[in-house]
Amino acid sequence: MKPMRSLFFALPALGGLLLAPLSTPAAAGADFSSDVPILHEEALEAGIDHSYTGGWEFFVGGGVASFDCNGDRRPDLVLAGGASPAEFFVNESQTGGALAFKPLETGLDPEDLTGVLGAYPLDIDNDRHMDLVLLRLGRNLVLKGGADCRFQKANREFAIDGGRAWSTGLSAIWEKGNRFPTMAIGNYVDRSAPGTPFGTCEPNQLLRPRPGDAPDYSEPLTLEPGYCALSVLFTDWNRSGRPDLRITNDRQYYRDGEEQLWQMAEGRPPRLYSKSQGWQRLTIWGMGIAETDFDADGLPEYALTSMGDTKIQKLDEEAGEDRPTYRDIAFERGATAQRPYTGGDHKPSTGWHSQFADINNDTLTDLFIAKGNVQAMPDFASFDPDNLLLGGFDQAFHEKGGEAGIALRTRGRGAVVEDFNMDGMLDLLVVNREHPASLFRNLGAETDWGHRPMGNWVKIELDNGKINPDAVGSLISVRTGTRTQTRRIQIGGGHASGRAGFVHVGLGVSERATIRVQWPDGEWSHPYRVFANQHVRIIRGEANARYWYPATP
Amino acid sequence: MVSITTMSRAAGLALVVALQTGWTPAALADEPWAERTRALGAVTEMPTGVLSKADLARLTATGQALFEANFTTLDGVGRPQATQAIDPTRRKHPRAQVFFRTAGPDAGSCAACHNQPATGGAGDFVANVFASEGFESADFDSLDPQFSSERGTNHLFGAGLVELLAREMSHELQSIRTETLRQARTEGAPVRRKLETKGVEFGFIAAEPDGSVNLDELDGVDTDLVIRPFSQKGVMTSLRQFTVNAMNQHHGMQPDERFGARWTGSDDHDGDGALNEMSAADVSALVAWQATLPAPVRQVPEVDGWAEAAARGEAGFSALGCTTCHRPALPLDSLSFADPGPFDQAGTLNDRQVAQTAIYDFTVLDWAAALPRDDRGRVLVPLFGDLKRHVMTDNQINALGNELLSQRFVERNIFQTAELWGIGSTGPYGHRNDFTTLDEIILAHGGDGRQARDAYAAAPDADKSALIAFLKTLVILP
Repeated sequence: MKPMRSLFFALPALGGLLLAPLSTPAAAGADFSSDVPILHEEALEAGIDHSYTGGWEFFVGGGVASFDCNGDRRPDLVLAGGASPAEFFVNESQTGGALAFKPLETGLDPEDLTGVLGAYPLDIDNDRHMDLVLLRLGRNLVLKGGADCRFQKANREFAIDGGRAWSTGLSAIWEKGNRFPTMAIGNYVDRSAPGTPFGTCEPNQLLRPRPGDAPDYSEPLTLEPGYCALSVLFTDWNRSGRPDLRITNDRQYYRDGEEQLWQMAEGRPPRLYSKSQGWQRLTIWGMGIAETDFDADGLPEYALTSMGDTKIQKLDEEAGEDRPTYRDIAFERGATAQRPYTGGDHKPSTGWHSQFADINNDTLTDLFIAKGNVQAMPDFASFDPDNLLLGGFDQAFHEKGGEAGIALRTRGRGAVVEDFNMDGMLDLLVVNREHPASLFRNLGAETDWGHRPMGNWVKIELDNGKINPDAVGSLISVRTGTRTQTRRIQIGGGHASGRAGFVHVGLGVSERATIRVQWPDGEWSHPYRVFANQHVRIIRGEANARYWYPATP
Repeated sequence: MVSITTMSRAAGLALVVALQTGWTPAALADEPWAERTRALGAVTEMPTGVLSKADLARLTATGQALFEANFTTLDGVGRPQATQAIDPTRRKHPRAQVFFRTAGPDAGSCAACHNQPATGGAGDFVANVFASEGFESADFDSLDPQFSSERGTNHLFGAGLVELLAREMSHELQSIRTETLRQARTEGAPVRRKLETKGVEFGFIAAEPDGSVNLDELDGVDTDLVIRPFSQKGVMTSLRQFTVNAMNQHHGMQPDERFGARWTGSDDHDGDGALNEMSAADVSALVAWQATLPAPVRQVPEVDGWAEAAARGEAGFSALGCTTCHRPALPLDSLSFADPGPFDQAGTLNDRQVAQTAIYDFTVLDWAAALPRDDRGRVLVPLFGDLKRHVMTDNQINALGNELLSQRFVERNIFQTAELWGIGSTGPYGHRNDFTTLDEIILAHGGDGRQARDAYAAAPDADKSALIAFLKTLVILP
């Protein structure tokens, strides 16, 4: 018998019964009771020693692309370097073990790899080798992927001019009936315009494929006006099945600009949503877009990073059907993250890459934000640690960056939340300006004897067939008990950073899940029954999901 | 119920003060007649390392006390704001009554149902339970099978051995998967292999060179190749998982390791006012007691002719094909029972979630030490089962197809082979406990059991009688 436990146990039970037999359960309140992941920084040990450098043109950018380039399904990396060359790294991490990357010599011209701000993976030609779009200061580069991480320049082959702009964002989607993707490229300041940089934003660009058996983007469209975009994202904001194009813009340089939503229509030029259609003017220092769907209602929420407050936009239910009117729920969710949470610097924060994910596998959506002063802006925090906002059962976010170990003295830019060692726990890479990139391995939750795994998980890879094999645009619905979580397969958003590969979903204490897929053409799959803690492959047309296992030493 | 009106004025004042300040006089909670379970919390820390026989005995004594305890609302019985679901699930609206026959809580104690022929045993029809996923808030009691599946209460004797067998089988099946993948990767070509462990076949697995496995040809096992040996359906991995599930479903006693703040954000997920109702150490005690329950045995009644009949019946049991599924024994390599175990996932503690597991060495138990061994030194566990799921109905014989709901991905007419050890002590029979004779339940076998069933049906009456005589020698001796 344990008398003390008995004392403490009996009284609340008795009191509860006498005073409030059916009282509301004790809420988590300000306490956060879920696991806090310990993120161990090990970039140098892992073989990544890379900084994003350069002058004011590279105050922005600093992206990373995460995708498998050698067929082993482990995410490999391409890191933008700004004035330094972009670098490629092949993932050699052992499952569940320390992170390990090997620099890859691509044989590409170093000049082509210099001036890179961002990188997005995308299988443009449907050959099941991931291609890569490098967003540059000047001509953007398209690299056609091959086996064993071989890349070759494909601007000419795909008839992509690459332009001469200062490009910062990309998003891609397969429009209805098209064999190849439509790409939107976000551009920043036009440095050659009179009066630059203020009020001289470069128009953005829309690359639609011409009909044919090979990618041909020789007739790009201009999206004008441009307001100095820093992130673009095709998003099905109204569950219409036809994604529109959202662009977040930097008010630092535009005049009379705002956030933008372009209405897409097959075969016609996009049109901006107007005030009369419900779009409300919002002016922020927009740096990155992240999408999630908290309640899986098909109407996504967006995190917009900025200087000062982070915005979390939710469609205003009172605005009327099909009207893109949003309200900001960042404050009520505790996610404004407007100033550093540690370090004593109380000036406003500067947010860059944002990404929703379940980094502690408890089924609740978490939010990572890369932070860092533009360079030396005196009115903004100089020590500005990255945020790890963990979702709580109280519907609020809780800042746990310090506890997790990511509150470093760096200037974060692009990033990717990714499971690099295939153990089901999401790791993190952050590209830092003028500082080596940070690579954090998720060790799990800390205990007095070491680290323990967190909740269950499932990772899902889709195979859509010959066209759009990676099923970009699909919606994955994961059901456990009464709870449904969704993930949209997207290329775009973040800050100059993109990823492709398995989609991660935390399952908490569920040991089974039922998955349905809405394929890019809108067709829903039958349910797939899977067990937790598996890498799952869903191949369109097959009756059962397959499991995938990483190679063992 | 404590009533202020029946107490002295001073005592009443003390109670009021206690309720307002959080202080309580020790006597109120700790008096011998207090209406709470003294065994709850008696084990303060989870056991670790190899337990001595004496330590194991102390632990299992607490486990037995918990198993037999009539939990009360002071312990935390009831879940007015939670359902019986294995995933913590809130009710849409609270329930006032503690007990609820079908959706639970439906029992004052574990032993209220597990009691034939002794604590830890099976249950009569009256002790049937109702299995449903529990993700909806049940508002009314209904035995209609569209809402839940009515099931008989299984006995737990020998359950530790069953779990050890399942662990070894899971490990071997997963090793086959690993080797198949390795070969496919090495050879750069698909490889298909039979999944067989301890002589039981579970279909085939096909691996691709890219590390994918095709699961279309699995038979009688979950796609993660974990043998889940408990429940009529074979959907529970371990005694620990079974215990956590059952404590919530049948009593509304919510173990912290799944229903605590780590996974629900609340110390009182079920909203009954009782915090942290059951610790991991409590669960460990319950697991230890169940795991060390002795295996059923063979005992021939001292009745003239029974021994001879049983011997003929055992031969017939094999000859008729019953042993295809009801394997007389499965070999077990190790009698070391680790708790928490290796195959549970978050929500039930496993060996990755604790600093050190406890090891219960069954060889210190007389009944386990006496188990027969084969020429390789492996213990022969006489369970008369195969720990595999089978289709139990067909177009002609479908008496076991009464259920309308699948359970945890297992279709409604598929059940795990019932282990027959102890069947002589645990009538009535069948997954719903609604067959009063062994003859009836044998004749109810359809599907994968059809061939043996037909052979039995065609056998001379004397052979049938002998087979019954044999089955009745498989008893539980507490």
